[in-house]
Amino acid sequence: MIIKVCGLTDNQSSMQVANLNGVDYTGFIFYEGSKRFTETTLATAKQKVGVFVNASLQYIKEQVIKYNLDVVQLHGNESPEFIRQFPKNIKIIKAFGIATEADLEATQLYEGLADYFLFDTKSESHGGTGTTFNWQILDAYKGSTPFLLSGGIGLESIEKLKQFTHPQLAGYDLNSRFELSPKVKDPDRIATFIKLLNMKTTSYLDTDPLGFYGEFGGAYVPELLRPNVEELDAAFNSYCFTEEFESEFKQLLKDYVGRPTPLYLAGRLSDKYGATIYLKREDLCHTGAHKVNNTVGQILLAKHMGKTNIIAETGAGQHGVATATVCALMGLNCIVYMGEKDIERQAPNVQRMKMLGAEVRPATSGSKTLKDATNEAIRHWINHPDSYYLIGSVVGPHPYPKIVAYFQSVISKEIEKQLLEKTGKTYPDKVIACVGGGSNAAGAFYQFYDNPKVELVAVEAAGLGIDSGKSAATSVLGTPGVLHGSLTLLMQDADGQVTEPHSISAGLDYPGIGPLHAHTIATGRAVSISVTDDEALQAALELSQLEGIIPALESAHALYALTKLELKKEDVIVVNLSGRGDKDMNTYLEKFPNL
Amino acid sequence: MNPFKKDKKQVSIFVTAGYPKLDSLKGQLLQLQKQGVDFIEVGIPFSDPMADGPVIQETSSIALENGMKLGLLLDQLDALRNEVHIPLVLMGYLNPVLQFGLDAFLSRCQALSIASLILPDLSVELYETKYKEVFGKYKIPVTFLITPLTPNERVQRVAQVCQNSFVYLVGQNSITGQGYAINEGLSSRYAELKKLCGATPLFLGFGIDSKEKKEQAFKSVDGVIIGTAYLKAVKVEEEVKFVEGLL
Repeated sequence: MIIKVCGLTDNQSSMQVANLNGVDYTGFIFYEGSKRFTETTLATAKQKVGVFVNASLQYIKEQVIKYNLDVVQLHGNESPEFIRQFPKNIKIIKAFGIATEADLEATQLYEGLADYFLFDTKSESHGGTGTTFNWQILDAYKGSTPFLLSGGIGLESIEKLKQFTHPQLAGYDLNSRFELSPKVKDPDRIATFIKLLNMKTTSYLDTDPLGFYGEFGGAYVPELLRPNVEELDAAFNSYCFTEEFESEFKQLLKDYVGRPTPLYLAGRLSDKYGATIYLKREDLCHTGAHKVNNTVGQILLAKHMGKTNIIAETGAGQHGVATATVCALMGLNCIVYMGEKDIERQAPNVQRMKMLGAEVRPATSGSKTLKDATNEAIRHWINHPDSYYLIGSVVGPHPYPKIVAYFQSVISKEIEKQLLEKTGKTYPDKVIACVGGGSNAAGAFYQFYDNPKVELVAVEAAGLGIDSGKSAATSVLGTPGVLHGSLTLLMQDADGQVTEPHSISAGLDYPGIGPLHAHTIATGRAVSISVTDDEALQAALELSQLEGIIPALESAHALYALTKLELKKEDVIVVNLSGRGDKDMNTYLEKFPNL
Repeated sequence: MNPFKKDKKQVSIFVTAGYPKLDSLKGQLLQLQKQGVDFIEVGIPFSDPMADGPVIQETSSIALENGMKLGLLLDQLDALRNEVHIPLVLMGYLNPVLQFGLDAFLSRCQALSIASLILPDLSVELYETKYKEVFGKYKIPVTFLITPLTPNERVQRVAQVCQNSFVYLVGQNSITGQGYAINEGLSSRYAELKKLCGATPLFLGFGIDSKEKKEQAFKSVDGVIIGTAYLKAVKVEEEVKFVEGLL
């Protein structure tokens, strides 16, 4: 699509606009009646368009020579005869004001005389109204001259522009909606417009420039946090794909975390469910869960950004421990926010964090659990913008979901390699993972999102049952809403107040899910299954006694999905065993008193 | 015409709707109007107010416990329509508004002649690409926040989008209700920001708690917004005296 930016003058903002990639035509208005009247142009290599309204041929020709204009746009009542007098090597754009279908009739007389037509909102003032017209009228345009669409196009028009198609539509004319004041263009807005226009979501993992996966995601943060998220995004993009980062990250994952984790063929489990079942043993990671993959990645990023104070939120304490661990490793200060209630419930993890040198700060507001710990961490980040906020799941404002998913992608990258060795294929038929916020699932699904042969199964905690009022099955019970900086599926009441979820597993009782999961579940790319507290307990016991592996309660939810899925004998299944069960021994002890 | 003035220094008070009692709003608005406050921000309580300090958090949770809901808030304002003549601004996080339904909410705001909306977790980018059309349909201007660190070009962009309301300057990088001194560096930056805002009024909020600070702020901006300090006074039933001392 051609992008023409009109109403430029000889100033700095115009120059920035002319230099933008994707801007094809720069327009200068040689019409005194316009607020953007200029009698000069810019030294730009882009095609220069002079806009004239009922000017004399002599005047136009003079300006063409003086300013080296490539195109003449005629925006008045210039007749076909008038246009015939122009030398053939000057490109012509003839503008028409459109209010009804009848306005299109005039174009017939100009067929063959103009390189482009320009359809603008009809007005007495020859354009510059800043309002759009009803583009559907153009369905009646059957001419052979391609046209540019003009009049009031702004950032808010993007969705509609993408929906409006016409065989002769050649491009867009941008003007007043991209200005800080008449004659002062806003290069940022124009760059955003071009980016959004060219966005094609080719992968489930791609976000648009505003950080949306489909309709979910974004950065819904107060202005106070804007510099922080922008700094983070820039640092991630410029550093985390360098050789320096990758070699250090890989080294730590290998020597410190203990990767690659095994892909274990669970023979007795396979026999029981009648399929080939592999367990991806994230429970064997240092600290006992996949969480550390992400904290290792982010701590390297934080160090690179020169940050010395790290903050984190934690629910059950797993992410808190993984953060405290890498802070100890790097010698950085660590503050972990944890709900007051969770501090009571998860005493051993609190002790571990303290032993690792972290400060655990209780979140005493609201429901005093994970979501409130997250609020407190965000407030801390607002007050201390020099600190690094190390989020533990694929939640929060863009770019966090992208960053955390990327650092966890090591899980599925290993699965591909390991499966190839074991089965001769790089992908399984199904991948099953539990979802609270969804970081282990994002990591286990990552390489398979764009392979439709792989079924992705996201397992949520149903708590006491979907309809019990004590559940955390966000994709079933949730509706779109904004929490902690992103638009996602959210457990909330009819008034938009966030409700407190319930699950026996502290790692799954978050009221939202990551926007990537919301997007893939909403579009049908991933299926969600809900598993109750009791079912998870049953699966934990089963795995312990069939395979000699005591799983974390979170991972036990994923295991129970085997019961709920229809499996075929030839199916190759990977269950992501995200964590080990030591931390849940108190619950197991209480629930299985008579073993 | 912009209901927010630039030619006379403005004082605005932030009230959490439904605090301390479910029906406190009426008395508060009428009293503030009587005392000569220029406009009032009515806070929509939310369960997870991430940019707010402990005082506003607490008022928010108490209001929710009292049973305050967005629909009720709008009903309460509706009942006051003929009695409140100063501009009203609604301020709240986006989620309750989205759940109420953006169209339904804006249409009620229009009927109530709400002068502007402040939605701190809605950025100017998101507004312009995703929400502008529906706000435009109901002609409700949105007010955006800036901070002393906001780049100049962005300040101009915000000022332009807010030309029918005002720009809300968060005095320092912190959540609501954190005290700080307006030193020379800050006040000269405020003055610079005011210049960048052009014809759009620039009001300073977050952390203004005294007459002295208000007077100091008046030297560089067009007005002040006071929330936490007022709500602290409400808690001890001293708000009338507080506002008297402030004006």
